[in-house]
This record gives sequence, C-alpha cells and structure tokens, in this order.
Amino acid sequence: MHSTAYCQAVEQAAEITVPARGRYIRTILLELERIQSHLLWLGIAGHIIGFDTVLMQAWRIREPVMWLCEKITGNRKLLGMNLVGGVRRDIPQEIHAELLQVLAGIDKECKKVLDAITTDTTLFMRCENVGRISAADAVALSLLGPTARASGIGRDIRVDHPYAAYAEVGCQVIVETGEDIWSRVVVRMKETLEAVRIIRDCLALMPKGSIMADVTDRIPAGRIGLSSVEAPRGETHHFVITGEDSRPYRWKARAPTFQNLQGIPVMVQGENIADVPIGLGSMDPCFSCTERWETVDLRSGRVRVYSKAELQELCRKRYSIR
Amino acid sequence: MFKAKLKEAIICFSNPRVTLPYPFGPGNPVVEGFRGKLDIDETKCIGCGGCANVCPSRLIRFYDDGTVTRMQFVLDRCTYCGRCAEVCPEKAITMTQQFETATDDKSDLYIEQTLYMATCARCGRCFETTNSIDKIPTRRQRQGRNYLGPAMPHGAPAGAEGQS
Repeated sequence: MHSTAYCQAVEQAAEITVPARGRYIRTILLELERIQSHLLWLGIAGHIIGFDTVLMQAWRIREPVMWLCEKITGNRKLLGMNLVGGVRRDIPQEIHAELLQVLAGIDKECKKVLDAITTDTTLFMRCENVGRISAADAVALSLLGPTARASGIGRDIRVDHPYAAYAEVGCQVIVETGEDIWSRVVVRMKETLEAVRIIRDCLALMPKGSIMADVTDRIPAGRIGLSSVEAPRGETHHFVITGEDSRPYRWKARAPTFQNLQGIPVMVQGENIADVPIGLGSMDPCFSCTERWETVDLRSGRVRVYSKAELQELCRKRYSIR
Repeated sequence: MFKAKLKEAIICFSNPRVTLPYPFGPGNPVVEGFRGKLDIDETKCIGCGGCANVCPSRLIRFYDDGTVTRMQFVLDRCTYCGRCAEVCPEKAITMTQQFETATDDKSDLYIEQTLYMATCARCGRCFETTNSIDKIPTRRQRQGRNYLGPAMPHGAPAGAEGQS
C-alpha cells in the first residue's frame, strides 16, 4: 500500500513508465491486501462488541489469502513487491488456478457471513443508528475511505484519480447512506466482494511482458512527485522530492487514520460510553507503533532511542502546542 | 433472529479446525520462497558492497581497514525485504526459512564477518578480497608454474594452465 504510493511518487518524479503487467500485479496485490484488511477488521469489530464467533470465522476466511500472499511474495504481510519501476516477482501461470480457487472461496464465504449477520438482531442493536456521522459532517471533516462512503460520500481514489490498472479494470464505488456503524460493516463487506471481482478481471486481462521498467540511469535530483493510493482505510498520499545519489531529499506520507480520527468527537456525541469502542473501531484506526523511535547515525554508527515522552515533547515543539 | 443464529451455527459447524498444531506438530509452517532471517556465506562473498547499496534500512555496513574488510549486519532493523539476496552476484546472501527471530538479546541479530584482502605481488598493497581473486581461473602468478593443488573454482582441472 505505502510502498506502491511511494514508488508511484518517485516514478512520477523521474518520469518512469511502469510496464502494463507490473501495474496489473500491483493492482492484484493491493486488492488482496484490501480483502485481508477488511476481513481482519470485521473480526476485530465483532470482537469489540462481544461477538467472537464472527472474529473466528472472519479470520478463518482470511487465512487462505495470507497463505496465498506468502506463496506469491514470500511473506504474509509486508509483501515487499514494489520497486521503483515495477514489481519484483511475477505471478506465474501455475498460481492463477489456486488464486481463482481462493477467490471463489472468499466470495462464497463472505456472502454466507453477510447473509447470516444481516438478519441478526443482536448485532443490529449494537450497530444500527450508533456512531452516526452525517454526510455534511463527513464533508466538513474531510473523512476518507469506507468511513466517508458509509455516510453517502462517494470518495474513492481508485475512481477519482485512477492509478495502477484501475483505469482498465474499473471499480465500483460502494456507497451506503445509513451514516452509522452498520453501514460501515456493509460497505467493507461489499468492497471485499468488489475486490474479488477486480482481481478476477485483472487475471483475465493481464498482458504478458516485462514486470519492471528498465531503470538504469540515476533518478534526477530536485524533482517533485505526488501520488495517492486508496488504502483499505482511505486515501494515502505520498510526497517526494528527489535528492542526490538516487535517494529522497524530502518525503512526507499522510495515512488516512489521522484524518478519520477527526470524526470521533462528532461520532461519540450523545452516545453511550459502551458504544465508544466500536465507534472508534468502526474507522479501522491504525495507532501505529510510534511509541518508540530509533535513529542511527550512519557515519558514527551511534544509535539513539527516543521514548514515548520524548516523542510527545518533539511533536509539541514541532506544532507549537503547549 | 433465530434464523440468523441458525445460519451462524451452520457456518461454524460446517468448517473443520484450520489452525496448525504449531509448535508441537511436524513440518515447517512456512512455504518455499519465504523470506526469513538472512544468512551469509563468507566463502562466497567477494565484498562488492551491492547489498549495502540497496538495503532500505541501511543496516549493512562496510569498513575497509586496509588488510581486511569488515562487514556488519545489524539485523534488528531488517525488514526482510530480501533485496540483498536478490542483488548479490555470488548468491552469498540467502533468505533462510527461519522466522522465529524474537529475542531479548540484540546480539542474536548481529552478524559480523571479515574478508581478507589479497596483496599485490608487485607493490605489496592490498587491493581486492581474496574470494574474488580465487575466482580467476589461474593460479600461476601466486602459486607458481607447477601448481597441482585442488581443482579450480570454474572447472578448469588442476595444473591445466601450467602445461601449456
């Protein structure tokens, strides 16, 4: 996800064209990631409201996707497939049959689970009309991804600014107008099914040829690149200024969670305390591992570890918060 | 309500256990091509520094001390991308199947190796690692005209060039 965004930004800066097959493989991997992320979220959401059956079942459905990713790329997560100019490994013809079989399984199981939980009144009572964010608020707070789409805002980078192979295979924007947690569940489940459709189309349309552009020259310094990718949680933007020696001079990434968190005050207003965890969880927040930060001076080899308190202090200084 | 619970029960009961008996069961839970902890074969390494150049975490460092080249791998920063293994011209670096790398001692994730530099026969200065010199299928310069030692790395029989 982030590696795609970064590579696209550098490719834009250096004016590198990625071969078609490389773009298709990127699309397939992005959608596999979306499937596993949405299924993982469904399990977590079920766990938060005390419905652990759905946790077990969603993760069981998800597991074949992880095994497949491991087979294709060499790891379950952190696929490490992107390089500036294309992708590192091909998806050979032998894996296509297995991929399609796993997708058929996901498709069937997701529909079964969706069918079972849509009539479950216990789940409905916890999710319907809880954690509401109106469409007007969603626009005002610039919410992204499934959170915005569940409030009736049809925002999707895949359609608005197509990248990789999305212009060729197309993508249906899933919009629900319920504005509550239940809509977010439905949006994510339908997006999983849409992702299955996209991967199938990609496999059918994937052209033959090289997967890497021929990047032999150094990347020119002082160029600017900006790219956006629709991550499972929303939009990810990467901004790069290229520097000397084919290394970045400046790099800024904006992940969707920070933007989505701005919706929390609106969401929890007037709600019960017990609904706050699932409200927060319905945005699929990623409080990444930023409590510890290690810097290494490459010349002297000196390592300095910043603690959580030091990071907070730095952050406050940077944004002048006292 | 009852119908939904019934459907959920059917989903649960119609699927067998999928968890692996790890760590008590037989077999390795990772597939072929898995990128685990990296391993380096110092007999193959020629010290070209390609791995240090591509490493995104820049955890591979080279120190040229004149007579030896020291290489440090600080693997606690490794992201297991496997780029080093991919670019290594001698296939000295391999990604093993080892995934149980959690440790409370950082020195477990530290590899250091020393490559000896060959000395120039004329000026006596060190100029290249011995591993890369050994690749060259002639030993007449260094071992003498009638060298009859073990076979050459590239398949030339021992002493072959000495007979011409």
